[in-house]
Amino acid sequence: MPVLFAHALVQQSYSTLNPASPQARLVDRLGDSMFITAAVVFGLVVLALLWAVFRRRDSDEGPAEDARREWPLRTSALVATAVTTAILFVFLILDVSVGRSITTNPGKGALQIRVTGHQWWWEVQYRDSLPKNWVTTANEIHIPVGRPVVFELKSTDVIHSFWPISLSPKKDQIPGDENSLWFQADSAGVYRGQCAEFCGHQHAKMAFLVIADPPAEFASWLARQRDTALTPTDALARRGKEVFLASPCVMCHAISGTPAGSRIGPDLTHLASRRTLAAGTLPNTRDNLIGWIVNPQVIKPGVRMPPNQFSGPDLLALVAYLETLK
Amino acid sequence: MCSRFRDSVILSAVLALSLAACQREERNFQGLPSGSAVANPKVREVELVPGGNVPADSRPGPYEENAYAVSQGKTLYNQYNCSGCHFQGGGGIGPPLMDADWIYGSRPANIYETIAEGRPNGMPSFGRKIVPDQIWQITAYVRSMSGLLRKDVAPGRTDDMQVRPQEQSAQKAKPVQSAIPKSAEIP
Amino acid sequence: MISAADSGPDDGQWIMPARNYASTRYSSLSQITVQNVQQLQLAWTFSTGVTRGHEAAPLVVGSTMYVVTPFPNLLYALDLTQPGAPLKWTYKPDPSLASQGVACCDLVNRGASYYDGKIYYNTLDAHTVAVDAKTGKEVWKTKVGEITRGETVTMAPLVVKGKVLVGNSGGEFGVRGWLTALDAKTGKLAWRAYHTGPDKDVLIDSRFKPFYSQDQGKDLGVTTWPGDAWKIGGGGSWGWISYDPELNLIYYGTSNPGPWNPDVRPGDNKWTAGIFARDPANGEAVWAYQWSPHDLFDHDGINEQILLDLPIKGQTRKVLIRPERNGYIYVLDRTSGEVLSADPYGYITTSRGVDLQTGRLIEIAEKTPVTGKVVRGICPAAPGMKDWQPSSYSPRTGWLYIPHQNLCQDVETGEANYIEGTPYVAATVKMYAGPGGNRGVVTAWDPVARKAAWQVKEKFPVWSGTVVTAGDVVFYGTMEGWFKALDARSGKPLWQFKTGSGIIGQPVVYRGPDGKEYVAVLSGVGGWAGAVVAGGLDVRDSSAALGFVNAMKDLPQVTTKGGMLYVFALP
Repeated sequence: MPVLFAHALVQQSYSTLNPASPQARLVDRLGDSMFITAAVVFGLVVLALLWAVFRRRDSDEGPAEDARREWPLRTSALVATAVTTAILFVFLILDVSVGRSITTNPGKGALQIRVTGHQWWWEVQYRDSLPKNWVTTANEIHIPVGRPVVFELKSTDVIHSFWPISLSPKKDQIPGDENSLWFQADSAGVYRGQCAEFCGHQHAKMAFLVIADPPAEFASWLARQRDTALTPTDALARRGKEVFLASPCVMCHAISGTPAGSRIGPDLTHLASRRTLAAGTLPNTRDNLIGWIVNPQVIKPGVRMPPNQFSGPDLLALVAYLETLK
Repeated sequence: MCSRFRDSVILSAVLALSLAACQREERNFQGLPSGSAVANPKVREVELVPGGNVPADSRPGPYEENAYAVSQGKTLYNQYNCSGCHFQGGGGIGPPLMDADWIYGSRPANIYETIAEGRPNGMPSFGRKIVPDQIWQITAYVRSMSGLLRKDVAPGRTDDMQVRPQEQSAQKAKPVQSAIPKSAEIP
Repeated sequence: MISAADSGPDDGQWIMPARNYASTRYSSLSQITVQNVQQLQLAWTFSTGVTRGHEAAPLVVGSTMYVVTPFPNLLYALDLTQPGAPLKWTYKPDPSLASQGVACCDLVNRGASYYDGKIYYNTLDAHTVAVDAKTGKEVWKTKVGEITRGETVTMAPLVVKGKVLVGNSGGEFGVRGWLTALDAKTGKLAWRAYHTGPDKDVLIDSRFKPFYSQDQGKDLGVTTWPGDAWKIGGGGSWGWISYDPELNLIYYGTSNPGPWNPDVRPGDNKWTAGIFARDPANGEAVWAYQWSPHDLFDHDGINEQILLDLPIKGQTRKVLIRPERNGYIYVLDRTSGEVLSADPYGYITTSRGVDLQTGRLIEIAEKTPVTGKVVRGICPAAPGMKDWQPSSYSPRTGWLYIPHQNLCQDVETGEANYIEGTPYVAATVKMYAGPGGNRGVVTAWDPVARKAAWQVKEKFPVWSGTVVTAGDVVFYGTMEGWFKALDARSGKPLWQFKTGSGIIGQPVVYRGPDGKEYVAVLSGVGGWAGAVVAGGLDVRDSSAALGFVNAMKDLPQVTTKGGMLYVFALP
């Protein structure tokens, strides 16, 4: 498992220069063409500057000579201005057209996912026409490859910004408002995203993963996420469930299939199916989970989860239970 | 006076003011700072002590001057469903918290005890479910509801639908021991 | 035109809160008439010693009167043969003090029922008791719910064919609603029908034939909820039950779904805010209908339903009439659940009517609460056009006498966190008077003509029940404390008496051992509407008591708490 995870980390692509969706590619291409054009223009300007600095000057050229030079110089200046304006106009059109195509609603057939920003984690909800099939999870978004996905973006506290780096430009999540963005992943992979609007103490550690799966795998992942958590068969894990229900955990966390239904913190029903903890801060391993439960403030100071006191056996039982929540 | 002397006076004044403001915004992420109020205070609820001569317990709560903690307390007050019974201080299932009447005492330690241990006529015991640091935050917020905290510490106007004047503007309601606890009303 | 469901000739007793299984609350005693009611005077009084909201109907069985108080739910037996009706005995069930912390709307109790020598009633901490009517000794006490889960019981049980029917409260605490039948002799569980969840829990089987297609399908109590939200979905039955002995069906409604914030529970949320028809022997559901699918406004569906035979379009139909919380007076065919008509009886901004083809309430989208947004001008407010307070029906006039309110509200819904044992509401509410400024109304409704015959406006919500007699007198109480008599035909006020505290109880009419006609009512303000006084709440918070305080800021100036039984008779 750790090996697989390390591999996954390596595979995580989080660069805007590595577009993985048609939308990101459009933006990347626009950026590339602007860069190249600007580079060329820059080169020409530098050449012109050098020529102006180093051109041969005859000391006995008189006013007549200057007059002779004036017309070509004036023309060049006019031509340069006109070309600049034209280039900028072309960019304006390209910009608007790229902007248009990445925001136009992809229509029916798109998967709808609601992502709500909290300080400092992501609530992810898959809605369905059949309410029974709604899924709520946190910090890890699975999407099917090749199908457009529309994200409804909201926030419950301050302004966050949803930025799936290689897949799409960012969009703000504004409390009291609703925004949306959409994209389509070209190929399977693990893509890291980041919050892109300063939102408090742990803005830097508010990351998420977008995992693009082949459609069949996505469907089976979604089906598993719809299951409620079963009572574990293992005695230690069963004891861990009792520890969970008797502890402060239930004030903030929900586990479907138990009486815990609070939505202050991330939904834990399928905690063990996620690759990271604390919004992309740590790999989801047993030791990290223990460390996080005992004192999250050491890992992510300011996060809203307090340090917790458990006896040794209780803590081991609790973690054994949480590991069954696949 | 010479400009350099004037500058250093201004600088010192600014430093002094900002240091004074530090406590108001201090964040203790690891929980209560060491040496502060004990997590489970044993507090006296009545005035009568046989033999007398025992002064009242007036330990301040750890967050009486910490605006950040009070605002966290307000968030938790709503999220942990305190508002479901006490609403925004007017009461409903539970008694009002914005008035001057206190059945079980208005001191921070009394309020802490009420939240942590519960009370016989329907107040649940939250002590095993909310960590002491958060209970102190909620305690501080509860005190702000009747104007017992300084104006620069109490929360300002909320972004939600206005149902009560902001805690910052609450007139300080001098706490009184409520006449009869509810349990004494039962025939 | 009253049906055979009415339980026979009036013997001058009052053995169940609704007077009979058809729930008419009609007394055929006619000693008190429109002409002589001005002379009505106080005969005797009794102080209950409790000062929370008194909602119960006093019972009269033979020559004994039985009164159930709000928490701590004492049962008093008063000897009507003696002058001043002295106390015979008191039964103290000692309900758990902690149950006061999970009761949404004051510590009320809606009364007892008498059956087979015993008085049956419920205590706030979710127990049902059977007390020997002669001696006051407890015969059995059965725990029916769990207060740590937010369950309480405030309703008056109904006893049908040897089964004591009890429903739970707790729609504001995320309970799972149910109706339970206990054996009247032993108190043992006979059956329990849940109101959410799979068909086998809801006791839906082959006999179930709902009239409308939206109510047909398998396990709708699961599929119309997200995930397992049905487990904390509400739908208790804390209101009124009626019974038709001919069809052998009980009829009762279910409460609001939880939480109040509808965004969190997409889907129709079956079987909340609806009505069931069941077989009392085993609880099997025969039909069901939802007044407010995916309820948006805490419009509980638990009000009284009066069983009548009415001429509709030339035919006599067996119907039930329900003045519903969502603002419409429904007439349903009680054999099938078909909605025959649904007419508004007050000002409504939340819906346009009921589509009689599909049976569905037609909601107005602009008034739908959206998380984080403030929606204003919602009429009727959460207590609805009428809450639990029961109406009465006179076979002489053919009209219903409906005590109700005229309230609107603003609401902002928010984040819903289910923490077992704490409120699960997620809404901030501010109520105020509806158009006209009067917060209360008594409406005389003609169910055949489908319109109001007359209306009397009141300053405060009319939170008491009504009773109507063969003398054509309607009695009800106001929250200021006036006990009033109106002419049943014209609505003209005939007589009133100022009691010590606001009246929210159910008046009853009985024949005393001396042959005289008496009218009895409990005075003692409280309930949801009177919580500002009963709970000593602070009027500076408009959202207190789920928003009701904002509409009742002046109540503490006109009444204080109280707990007194008043009995009136002609001199």
